[in-house]
Amino acid sequence: MSENNTVRSNGTLQLISGKKFRGELVAGEQGAAFYAKGKKEPIAEWHYARMNRMDNIRRGGTSSQVTVILKDDTRYVFELDHGLKLYSQMDKNWVDKPVRAKTRGDILHEQAERLGQKIEVPKKHLITRRHPNRSIGGDIVIYLMLLVVAIAMFFPLFFMIGSALKPLDELLRIPPPIWPSHPTLDNFSDLFVTMGKSFVPFSRYLMNTLFVTVVGTFGHLVVAGMAAFVLAKYEFPGGRMFFGLVTTCLMFSGYVTGIPNYLIMSKLGMVDTYWALILPAFCAPMGLFLMKQFMEGLPTALIEAATIDGASRFRVFWSIVMPNVKPAWLTMIIFSVQSLWNNPATTLIYSEAKKPLVYAMSQIQGQTTTNIARTGEMAAATMIMTMVPILIFIFSQSRILETMASSGIKD
Amino acid sequence: MQSQSFASRFLTMKREKMAHGWTLAKRNKGCYLFLAPYAILFFTFFILPIGTSIVLSFTYYNILEPPRYIGLQNYINLILQDEVFLTSIKNTFVCAVIVGPVGYILSFLFAWFINELPKWLRAIAVIVFYAPSLGAGVITVFTTLFRADAYGWLNSILIEWGIINAPLMWLLDPRYMLTIVIIVSLWMSMGTGFLSFVAGFQGIDRSMYEAGYVDGVRNRWQELYHITLPSMKPMLLFGAVMSIASSFNISDVPRALCGFPSTDYAARTVVTHLFDYGFVRFEMGYASAVAVILFLAMILSKKAIAALLGRVGT
Repeated sequence: MSENNTVRSNGTLQLISGKKFRGELVAGEQGAAFYAKGKKEPIAEWHYARMNRMDNIRRGGTSSQVTVILKDDTRYVFELDHGLKLYSQMDKNWVDKPVRAKTRGDILHEQAERLGQKIEVPKKHLITRRHPNRSIGGDIVIYLMLLVVAIAMFFPLFFMIGSALKPLDELLRIPPPIWPSHPTLDNFSDLFVTMGKSFVPFSRYLMNTLFVTVVGTFGHLVVAGMAAFVLAKYEFPGGRMFFGLVTTCLMFSGYVTGIPNYLIMSKLGMVDTYWALILPAFCAPMGLFLMKQFMEGLPTALIEAATIDGASRFRVFWSIVMPNVKPAWLTMIIFSVQSLWNNPATTLIYSEAKKPLVYAMSQIQGQTTTNIARTGEMAAATMIMTMVPILIFIFSQSRILETMASSGIKD
Repeated sequence: MQSQSFASRFLTMKREKMAHGWTLAKRNKGCYLFLAPYAILFFTFFILPIGTSIVLSFTYYNILEPPRYIGLQNYINLILQDEVFLTSIKNTFVCAVIVGPVGYILSFLFAWFINELPKWLRAIAVIVFYAPSLGAGVITVFTTLFRADAYGWLNSILIEWGIINAPLMWLLDPRYMLTIVIIVSLWMSMGTGFLSFVAGFQGIDRSMYEAGYVDGVRNRWQELYHITLPSMKPMLLFGAVMSIASSFNISDVPRALCGFPSTDYAARTVVTHLFDYGFVRFEMGYASAVAVILFLAMILSKKAIAALLGRVGT
C-alpha cells in the first residue's frame, strides 16, 4: 500500500454472525485493511477488485467479496485476501462511517491538472444502467408490473386497516369507502368492551398466548439447536436419514396429522393443557431445517480447535456454536412465534380460560360476520391479530434474509 | 460360481459397511444424546401420527369402540361411493394445479424483479409481498370484500359501474366459490418459498454475471436461464416443497370464506373433508384413509418436481 493516498477512518466491522469489531479501516490505492482496536496485525485485508462496474454487489453478497460505499456514493468491492487468518469463511461488512478514498479517476484528474491538460468529462446519462444485461424498456415494464401487483397485494390489508378505523356511519355507506374520511378508534374501544363482557378477561387470553409463545419458542431453540448441531457437524449412522424424514415432514400441515395427534395427546393426558401446544412446537421441522443449513456454514476448524482444547460437546455447542449462529436464532424465533401466535388450537383446548388470543378473536369474528354494524369491530380484531406478526417481520426482515441467503438452503 | 462369489462379496461388503457404521455410531455416541430430545418429540408428534394414520386407515374407528380391522374398505368407499370426496379431490387438484405452480412461478418472478430494486425499496417490496401470508386472520377481510349484499365492496363497485344490477352471492354461489378460493390462496402464496428466493438471489456470486456478459449473455432471460436458475437449485426445490405443502393443504381459506360445509360442497377440499370426518363425524378410520391419500399425493409430487428441477438450466 503506498503511503500518499491512504485514508484512515474509524468505524465498526461487522461479521455476518453479528460480531462487531471497533477499529480503524485503512484504505489505500490497491486495497484496504482493518485494524481492530489495540491490534497490531490487521484482522481483515481486501484488494479492490473492480470499481463501479460491479457496484450492485450488495451486503450479503458472496463470501469473498465486500462492498464499501463512500460518501460520494462510489462503491468499492473488496476481495478477501487469501492469506486471511481469522473468520475467513464469513462476510465482513463495513457498517458505519463511510471512508473517503481517492478513486483512480481522481488520481488521473490530479495528474492531468498538474500537466495542464484538459480532460473530457463523460456525459452523465439520465438513467444509469446498473447492470449490463438490462434494457431500460424492460426495466420500466417490470417496475410498472411490480407496482400494480404490489398495490393488489396491499389492497386487502389497506382495506382492513381502513375498516378498523371507520366510524359506524361510514361502515353503512354504499359503496363502502376504502379509507374513512373521519378515522376513529371507536372500533377498538368497542372491541375491548365486548372482550370485557366475555366470561374470561382479555388479559387472560393474552397471557395464555404469551406463555405458550415464549416457552414454546425457547424450548424449540434449544432442542432443535442441539439436534441441528450434531446433524450439521458430525457424521453418524442414521443422521442423514433422520434429516430426510424432517424435510419430508415440512410438507405436512397440522390438519392432516390432526386426528392421530389428538389421539396421542389424549393418551398422554395433554388435551386441554398448554403442553398440547408447546411440545409439538419444540420439534417444528422448519426450525431444525434452517438451523442445520446455517450451522453447516460454520468453519469445522472452530469446533475441532475447541474439542482439542478439551471442551465437552455441550460446551462447544453452547459457548461456540450457538453464539455464532445468532442470525439463525432470530429467524427461527420469528417463524416459531408466528406459528404459535397464529395457532388457534381449536381441537386441543376447550377450557375458555386456556384458550389463546387468536381463538378468542376468531370467536368474536364468528359472532360478527353476519352483522354489518359490527364489521368494524371484526376488522379491529383482525388488525390486532395480523399486525403483530407483520410488525415482527418488518423489524427482523434483513436478518431473516441474511440467514436464508447464507444457509444456502439445500435438500 | 461367479454369481456365488458376487453374492458373498456383496455380503462381506454389507457386513463391513455395517461394522463401519457401528464403530461410527459408537464413536459418536454423544451425538445421539444431542439428537434424542428432538428425535423423541419429533417421533411422538410427527412420525407416530403418520404411522397411526396409516394403521387406522385400515380400520373402522369411532373413538368410542376399539378400532375394528376392515381391510381396504375405507379406500374402496372413498373412491367408489363417496361423491363428496371425489368433489374434494377435484377441487384440491384444481387448486393445487393452479395455486401450486402459478404461486411458485409468481413467487420466483417477483423475487427476481424485487432483487433489482434499490435496497430500501426492496425491503418495502419484500414486506408488501410477504405480509399477506403472515396472518391467518387476514382471510376475514375477504368476507367483507366479497359480502353477498351491497355492503360488500366488490358488489357495490360492480353495481356502481353498471356491470351488474343486483348483488351477487360470491361466497355462496358454487359458480364463483372455487375461483375466489383460488384467488385468495394465490394472494397468500408468497410465503417462505418467496423469502428463500429473495435470499437466494442475494447470495448469487455477482462475478458470474460479469463472466456471462463477457461470454455473450445478452439479455435478462438468457441470464436467468443460464446463470441464475442453475445457482438457485436448492432454493427452487425448497420453494417447491413449501408450495406443494401450501397448495395441497388449502383448507383455512375455503372454511373461512365459504363456510363449513360450503354450499353444494363446491369449495370442499381434501383437508376440509378430512376435518369433517375426523372432528365432526368422528369416523377416524375413514378420515385417516383420506390423510394417507394426501400424504402419498404430496410425496409423489415432491419426487416429480425434484426430478424435473434436476434438468433445469443446464
